[in-house]
Amino acid sequence: MLVLTRKSGEAINVGDEVTVTVLEIRGNQVRLGIQAPLNIIIHRRELYEKIRAENLMSSGLSVDDFKKIRERLK
Amino acid sequence: MIQFETSRFGKLEVAEDKVIQFPAGLLGFPRVKRYVLLDYEDTPIKWLQAIDDPDVAFIVMEPRMLVQDYTISLDATTRQALLLDAEEDLAILAIVRVEKGQVLANLKGPLLFNSRLKIGIQAVLE
Repeated sequence: MLVLTRKSGEAINVGDEVTVTVLEIRGNQVRLGIQAPLNIIIHRRELYEKIRAENLMSSGLSVDDFKKIRERLK
Repeated sequence: MIQFETSRFGKLEVAEDKVIQFPAGLLGFPRVKRYVLLDYEDTPIKWLQAIDDPDVAFIVMEPRMLVQDYTISLDATTRQALLLDAEEDLAILAIVRVEKGQVLANLKGPLLFNSRLKIGIQAVLE
């Protein structure tokens, strides 16, 4: 992992199109400003991981599971 | 028409214009980009079957069937990703699963579609 030290107001570039700026540091919290093209989707990691985990649990259900869901929702 | 194998439904054939493109894939499935919605028996619950992976299929339904006042607000990024310019083109489906007899819906990660252009994206809601 690349590790860089930045001060408030300083930034890093990721490729040509993404800039991450440290806007504010307060205690153990950092506010980041991210400039990126609209086709780059940015999420807080923990939200991303939660939905990813749910997807993995949902991708291999069987036709029997489908029938159970249909019965439950009747 | 395109033909593809599925592990649940055998060999399927669908018209090209039924193919839904997920340019970014679904979370955890970045390389699976083409899906098709399959009606299954007489129910509003559907299968979202991957074309590029026979094993990947999600059970999906309209979130308003579960939560009547379910609404989401789209940000500019999502709108752009869907190439959405008319609100009536937006369709929303939630992935559901069953766990220990309970039906669970992923309402925080709904699937959003431009139903006219057949483009999909998985949103991540706060």
